[in-house]
Amino acid sequence: MSSDSHEAWLAELEAASRQKQETFMNGIASKLRRPRVTNRPDQPFRGAPDFWESFQWSSEERISMFTQNFQAAGGHVIHVADAVQAADFITNKAEEMKAARLLMQNQPSLLALDLQQRLSQAEISVWNDQPETDWRAKAAEADFGIVEADYAAAYTGSMTVMSSANKGRSVSLLPTVLIAIIPVDRLKTRLGEIMSDFDAAGREGLPAGIHFISGPSRSADIENDLTIGVHGPGIVYAVLVDSW
Amino acid sequence: MSTEGKMSVKNRARLALNNDFLRSAVRFTTERLRSGKIQASADHGSWDEWRERGRQIRLHTIANLDYYLTQFADNARANGVHVHFADTAEEAVQLSLNIAKQKSAQSVVKSKSMVSEELHLNKALESIGVEAVETDLGEYIIQLADETPSHIIIPAIHKNRYQIADLLSKEAGETLPPDTSILAGFVRNKLREKFLDAEIGMTGCNFAIAETGSMVLFENEGNARMVTTVPKTQITLMGMERIIPSWTDLEVMATLLPRSATGQKLTVYMSGITGPRRDEDGDGPDEMHIIILDNGRSLQLGDPEFQELLNCIRCGACLNACPVYRQIGGHAYGGTYSGPIGAVLTPALKKNVAEWDDIANASSLCGACYEACPVKIPLHDMLVSLRRRKVEAGRGNKLEGLGMKGFAAIMNNSKRYRAVIRLGKIGQKLVARSGEIRLKAGPLKGWNTYRVTPTLPKHSFRDKWPTLEQEIRGGLQNMPSGMEQRLQNIMKDRNKGGGS
Repeated sequence: MSSDSHEAWLAELEAASRQKQETFMNGIASKLRRPRVTNRPDQPFRGAPDFWESFQWSSEERISMFTQNFQAAGGHVIHVADAVQAADFITNKAEEMKAARLLMQNQPSLLALDLQQRLSQAEISVWNDQPETDWRAKAAEADFGIVEADYAAAYTGSMTVMSSANKGRSVSLLPTVLIAIIPVDRLKTRLGEIMSDFDAAGREGLPAGIHFISGPSRSADIENDLTIGVHGPGIVYAVLVDSW
Repeated sequence: MSTEGKMSVKNRARLALNNDFLRSAVRFTTERLRSGKIQASADHGSWDEWRERGRQIRLHTIANLDYYLTQFADNARANGVHVHFADTAEEAVQLSLNIAKQKSAQSVVKSKSMVSEELHLNKALESIGVEAVETDLGEYIIQLADETPSHIIIPAIHKNRYQIADLLSKEAGETLPPDTSILAGFVRNKLREKFLDAEIGMTGCNFAIAETGSMVLFENEGNARMVTTVPKTQITLMGMERIIPSWTDLEVMATLLPRSATGQKLTVYMSGITGPRRDEDGDGPDEMHIIILDNGRSLQLGDPEFQELLNCIRCGACLNACPVYRQIGGHAYGGTYSGPIGAVLTPALKKNVAEWDDIANASSLCGACYEACPVKIPLHDMLVSLRRRKVEAGRGNKLEGLGMKGFAAIMNNSKRYRAVIRLGKIGQKLVARSGEIRLKAGPLKGWNTYRVTPTLPKHSFRDKWPTLEQEIRGGLQNMPSGMEQRLQNIMKDRNKGGGS
């Protein structure tokens, strides 16, 4: 199929959809026995209950609660002072687990960890830095995926990774082991503190993929027996870094 | 499914009750999920305030559904998504097949979607030669067994590890031991190939955020992330009521849904997908379609007794709390959705009480479902409404109708009532033995088959009333105002003729 004819096909679907949308929405309004609502209605209750919005933990509490919750979900948490210690941790882990292939997000601070120098035997790739590579396959064969989290929430023990050209969604998904750097100043108390940033960013400010990750991939689908690493990474390290 | 639907709930329940593994597995699983939920909601604290907030957000969104759905569609299109609307299951199937044909797809990988179950989409895809692969571990297992989910959260609840090992061994071409981690490892490898081969990834939708046109998925395995990351085309099937206004509203749903479903603080993955991949991105789908489905949902709009049904966030807490579901499991309900929510949703979506009325009777009306519901849907009231509508539509049991008429005649007149009780006290002497009636015949057959009817006591409540009245006079309790208001509203709706 040529791309022109595909565009024409999409345009045809689009026209049909717009037409259908009118009857669909009019149908809703008529069932609700009122005219169409076309102006933004007042939202009497938006977001979490009011008392929740003022709930805050101290930095120490956030670190300890994140650690507790993430570990309870089967993840591992390491707390280090700076990037050098973080690099030491990754280096040691890679040697200990005999990781042959590491894939990391294309982020200046991750590149500055100098992992290629430290792990000369391993193949270290940087997401999307060459156009001709099959990055999906690269991610699928990687032993370690290394990412820098954009946010974390202590209350649920979750980290947030957001996609971009330099930050593939696959890096936190396809490798066997996920190592996520979380600078402690990005660790919030509540999910709502992260969500409000997305509301503020608005449609145009959001990336295609926003992923909250709260531990290793798991399933209890076979006789309620907990299995780790069903599709996503089965081993997840959250590395909290004081000064990143 | 339709043939299964024609069998009565009693017959399906009888089959389930004879399956010992099923019964103990369902009991064990529901108990695990239910106690997890109770623990998680207690740990979180102020649970009722969160429930009320969740309910308010859902009520508001549904009351303004045309506005929010339009806003969602506009924003999703601006993100580059192709949005489609389908009135019926058939239309949604046609749209999906149309896309699959246009893409010359050989294979579609799917993550869990109850809407897809409503559409029986896998069969439709197979009919045009497209392989449809369920990738949630439990869904994959029941797909291999050619069955349907029996629990909304744990779909293969009814299969034991030996049955699962057999199914997967056939797929593997070698004998796999009944060891969970080995079986799961096989599925991981097998499905990795499927993810990489498939042209289309298909998902459901837990929530759709109107203000940014994003769709949100909750999951634990990572298969929904695979489905939305790896194939070149993504199709999302979404019930028209899945909307919430904003990301901050998502915090409320993210607080209620995982805790109510499994007792988790958050599922392992919660993903917000805002359009296909950006031009410069290295992964994500090139093309993304969202099919918004009605299929009977809009029938609940403007219906005072059932509109709140659209508030449902599909957590399964009502299944785990239900004493009937816990005995008979999901397949006995005969529809896509099981448990208390299924007992109401199936007849409501089909607007066909006659065919599905029996599952409305598969309930003890204890209200445990309402107590468990994170958005406070009064499912037990709805079950009563369904039964009433059936009678009003002239589809009630004739004998029962006659009995009710007689009952009304007696209860309306105190002299008649007293006379009947006096007769009863004399009549029961023929059948009562030491305070119990065990006669399994006539009108007592249904009840006495499983239970014992107590005899009328020597001193009835009416006999005792003059003394009781004196005692109570001191401190008469008023009904809580919320409950009184709700009852009054129900009466008002009923008088308005809301029960058509």
